[in-house]
Amino acid sequence: MQLRFVISAVVLVLATAGPVLAGPSDVLIPLDQYTTAKAKNLATVHQRELLKFSEYIYHCLPWLAVVKNGIGFPHPKGAEGDDRYLSVWVNVDQTEDPSFEAMPLPRRASAMFSRYGVHLLKRMTQYSEITSDNDVQGFLVVLSWLKPGTANDKSPTTETIALFVDKPTVDDFLAKRIESSAFTERAKYNVFDGKTLVGRVPLEIWEDNFNSTYKLKNYVVEEGQHC
Amino acid sequence: MRSRITGATFAVSLLFLAAACSSQDGKVWMEHNTHFASGEHAFFSLKNNKNGSNPKVTRLDIEDSRNQNWWGIYPITVNQSQILQN
Repeated sequence: MQLRFVISAVVLVLATAGPVLAGPSDVLIPLDQYTTAKAKNLATVHQRELLKFSEYIYHCLPWLAVVKNGIGFPHPKGAEGDDRYLSVWVNVDQTEDPSFEAMPLPRRASAMFSRYGVHLLKRMTQYSEITSDNDVQGFLVVLSWLKPGTANDKSPTTETIALFVDKPTVDDFLAKRIESSAFTERAKYNVFDGKTLVGRVPLEIWEDNFNSTYKLKNYVVEEGQHC
Repeated sequence: MRSRITGATFAVSLLFLAAACSSQDGKVWMEHNTHFASGEHAFFSLKNNKNGSNPKVTRLDIEDSRNQNWWGIYPITVNQSQILQN
């Protein structure tokens, strides 16, 4: 009898111990944190599609982690007036990699944006209720990844690229009506090394189908989710 | 009598420890003195085969691993306010 009690207690402790995990709805910018009526209205009206986008990343791209308040309609620094952009900010799960480390920062930023940024933009344009809303100016993608050589530091450093661009330019780029060079010319972006602003580095974009072809070994998609 | 049993148990324990562990092992064990690093680690191990054959990784397992990998480590990263405002 006592043994059964002890086992039950241990199971209960194991089940409840550990950090509270963030699910797809936990990464949306909370409504009360928007500072303008326009932004709050967008987030209210399009809550369903924002959640669908978050669920897609959560279940289908498990190598990406959306940061806290990483999905919503913020105003990017440098954008006009109260322009609002459908936005996503993800951390890319990546360990140290010698070939990645050998690249200079502009090349690393280009590789990251080619692989993850373009894929996320493609996905974002599929949410028709959001993209057809005239109050949505465009798209903002922020990617952060481990700076090579800092994994074992007491405080590892991340590198980040933040890029925002208007809807017509994204449509033209994805439909291959404009070259990638025209896309990067029109886009506004900055690269950061840790907290330090590096600024606008030469950005090249190339085809990369990693996200649509890569299968994580032994990963089981949750029942009811389709990737 | 009781003190003799206690003494013998202590001596046997010391012998066992000396035989089984090098000083390096002992140091590692002292730094990680449970078999499982966490409840999540225990559940993951219990639900999958011990030899690692046919493991199943769910999204929650990945989230657990990600959280625990970063316990106590605060990366130097850009502040959201440097990029956007709500």
